[in-house]
Amino acid sequence: MIKLNPLTIKQLKRFRSIKRGYYSAVSLTLLLVLSVAAELLVNNRALMVNFEGKLFFPTYGAFLPGTTFGLGYDYETNYRELAQRIHEQAGTDDWVVMPIVPYSAFENDLREYEYPPYPPSVETRHFLGTDTTGRDVLARLVYGFRIAISFSLLLLACNYLIGVTIGCAMGFWGGAFDLFFQRLIEIWSNVPFLYVIMIIASIVVPNFWTLVLVMVIFGWMGMTWYMRTSTYKEKTREYVLAARALGASSARTIFSHILPNTISVIVTFIPFSIATGITSLTALDYLGFGLPPPTPSWGELLSQGTENLEYPWIVASVVVAMGAVLLMVTYIGEAIREAFDPKQFTYYE
Amino acid sequence: MRALALLLGAFFTLTAWAELPAELPADLEWITNSEDPLFASPLAKRGGTLRMSVQSFPLTLRRVGPDSNGSFAGFLRPNQMSLVVYHPETRRPIPSLASHWAFGPNGRTIFYRIDADARWSDGVAVSGADFEFTVEFMRSKHVVAPWYSNYYTDVVTDVKAYGHKVIGVEGATAKPRDEMLFEYGIGVVPKHFHVLNERWVRDTNWKVEPNTGPYQISEVRKGKYIVFERKKDWWASERRYYRHRFNPDRIRVKVIRDINISYQHFMKGDLDSFGLVLPRFWHEKAKGENYEKGYINRYWFYNEAVQPSAGLFLNEDSPKLADRNVRYALAHALNFDKVINTVLRGDYSRMHTFNEGFGEYDNTTIRQRPFDLDKSRDHLAASGWVERGPDGILVKDGQRLSIRITYGAPQHTERLVILREEAKKAGIELELQLLDSASSFKQMQEKKHEVAWMAWGSQGMSPRYWQFWHSDNAHKPQTNNLMNHDDPAMDAMIDEYRAATDKARRIELAHALEQMIFDSGSMIASTKVPYTRSAAWRWMKLPDELGTRTSGSLFNPFELSSGIYSSGGLFWIDLDEKKRVRDARDDGDAFPALLVLNEQYKR
Repeated sequence: MIKLNPLTIKQLKRFRSIKRGYYSAVSLTLLLVLSVAAELLVNNRALMVNFEGKLFFPTYGAFLPGTTFGLGYDYETNYRELAQRIHEQAGTDDWVVMPIVPYSAFENDLREYEYPPYPPSVETRHFLGTDTTGRDVLARLVYGFRIAISFSLLLLACNYLIGVTIGCAMGFWGGAFDLFFQRLIEIWSNVPFLYVIMIIASIVVPNFWTLVLVMVIFGWMGMTWYMRTSTYKEKTREYVLAARALGASSARTIFSHILPNTISVIVTFIPFSIATGITSLTALDYLGFGLPPPTPSWGELLSQGTENLEYPWIVASVVVAMGAVLLMVTYIGEAIREAFDPKQFTYYE
Repeated sequence: MRALALLLGAFFTLTAWAELPAELPADLEWITNSEDPLFASPLAKRGGTLRMSVQSFPLTLRRVGPDSNGSFAGFLRPNQMSLVVYHPETRRPIPSLASHWAFGPNGRTIFYRIDADARWSDGVAVSGADFEFTVEFMRSKHVVAPWYSNYYTDVVTDVKAYGHKVIGVEGATAKPRDEMLFEYGIGVVPKHFHVLNERWVRDTNWKVEPNTGPYQISEVRKGKYIVFERKKDWWASERRYYRHRFNPDRIRVKVIRDINISYQHFMKGDLDSFGLVLPRFWHEKAKGENYEKGYINRYWFYNEAVQPSAGLFLNEDSPKLADRNVRYALAHALNFDKVINTVLRGDYSRMHTFNEGFGEYDNTTIRQRPFDLDKSRDHLAASGWVERGPDGILVKDGQRLSIRITYGAPQHTERLVILREEAKKAGIELELQLLDSASSFKQMQEKKHEVAWMAWGSQGMSPRYWQFWHSDNAHKPQTNNLMNHDDPAMDAMIDEYRAATDKARRIELAHALEQMIFDSGSMIASTKVPYTRSAAWRWMKLPDELGTRTSGSLFNPFELSSGIYSSGGLFWIDLDEKKRVRDARDDGDAFPALLVLNEQYKR
């Protein structure tokens, strides 16, 4: 377990004092938490239905066929229509509570002889309008964000686990091990990874996990160089030599002494890696090599928006959303870098 | 189609047959056609310059050889006339370069009498020797035209001149007469122009080859534009079916690389007409002052052109789709009406049969299974698919009713997502597999798909069945039987259809085959675009009916606009009107706005 030393605590305090970064971090975290519970906010399933004295919570779990609520079909209940029907029937105790945005990211809300995309409207609760097939833009933004951010975080975790481990080992052991991995990484970094993804995507349909896998295979190298240098640097410091003189094992030296002192390197890069993760998934989706349709995705919305500039709400929504998230991530990154800048706390003799 | 023709040819080269006779048989019955109705407008005025655009400058002005199969071939090839073309209304053969034709006794030879006046653009008369040379030319390794080389070796097996004005053509297989005229109607190359040597490809790259049609290239500015000029004394000007046609004196073809920019040129009046088939252009872009004030007119013309066989091709070898009930249920679960009336803006129509647009061969009694959840449920229940899983998708023996649809056109995603959401109601999950177009076709050819969403382009006089439905092509890769359909009764009928030379019998068989295809449920036809749409400046005049039954486009200045029917070159430019429109634009005066909808051939 890596213990927080007083220096780190100091750094965190400093981070909090940088307002722009701190509030960005808070809002982004909030968005993340909200997106985990997106089903309760943006969904075509009702939150709660009181039907003939019985309570239903359809959000999670198996689908409820229309027959459950006395509707004449056995496919999934259309809760908006159910709410409408109950509303029209006078004198029943039944009620339906719908989420704020009563659409899923997949359903096509189409009206006969009125051609999508439909503009934003509070009345129909399409707050950001619909896309060219009548799907709610806000719903697709929210679920697209959830997918993009979880993709990005997962990618980050895998990349850093591999990158930090190998980078640390290279710096710590040096010698032939270092030399071997240096060459390997040099060669591996020169594989044009975008082409590889395009080739893979043209043969098989990539899903979430294969995309993460491919991106990890070609993305772990970035961290190794930084970790290698800082481990090299720390390894020769007096405290490490002292620890080794006291007989600390390699594992103890790395985990208790070197890693905590290189954490600032790792932490500084995290926000930018998240931004890279989001943008690369968006770019792949935009080019059509990403997640298969009809997965909600920002890239797909972006390409639809740029093809249909006559309907500005599509492109505007996704550009604003993407701009806001990337801006927040950049602010956080900036604040972290400032807070963790070693020049403020150390000096060289 | 080509592959099929070649395959056939290769098979028949192994067998021996009689050569063309040394002397022209005396008892030939010479046929021509001067009875069919006229379709050009007698009001047409000669003159003016038609301004058109292309997206890229041609890589060569050759008709054949390397790089010659680009879009500019559509300007060069129609000006080399065919021996015989087809009447755009009656679909019967009419004379073109040949004034008469006659059929040999063995069912696979045709004799043509070349029009006595036929001349190349340099004044040299077209002779039988040119046709004999064509075969030598096309087979020549210097020309580097593998497809033509095969065609003139394996499909057309012999060409012989009988004097200056009569030729005989022998094909590999016997065919119905109409088909044979199309299949064995060879092209012609000016013998006096070509020197066949290893430098041929390079030497002829930018040379203007003499031609027989109404227009010839008069000016080439590389990378910028090409001008065609109408021949002052075109030999066929006064022929029955060519009178009042090909009216502009000049045609200037300008390179404009982006479709949106060429639309801007059109709006400025620098181009005379613009195709508006795409819903986005027709509904979103064709608006504004030019339209409201009647300077630009819009035309929407329904035709009976051959439709691509578009739809879902269900692989009968996949376990779920081997069951005919599932195939029927899937058809009833696809809400094409919703797709057409929403994302396609009501512009497309439902296709009902595998083949459409072949005139009498079409079976118009078949109607595709409509979207009907009750019927879908009944069919599924009959096969034991009754229980729904937690996500609403049917489950049987632990297996979900999830069907993978492979496709290669990203612009079709919006149609498929709507079908997918609607099919969920029937308890069927459609898994959309969008691949790059080459990979998706590869997967289909290897028969690894469950359902293939695609379209076969088709051409010619009559539908083809063998390559798509015969068991010869089932259960093996690299064939077009994507359904892996394997039915001895159908095989027998297809064999008879291919061998039959009697048109009435072939039509009967085609109708029966379409019915069998529909009954199999293995091909669910999707949509078609049974019309052409254009906008044109007011001075561009069309005949009263706008076009013919088979017109693929209204403002094509050349004879053949799509396929084999002589339907192009019917419009004219009214120069007085042009002046009036220009003056009105300067003064801000308006004409009545005009949108012509012709639904005469709508079905």
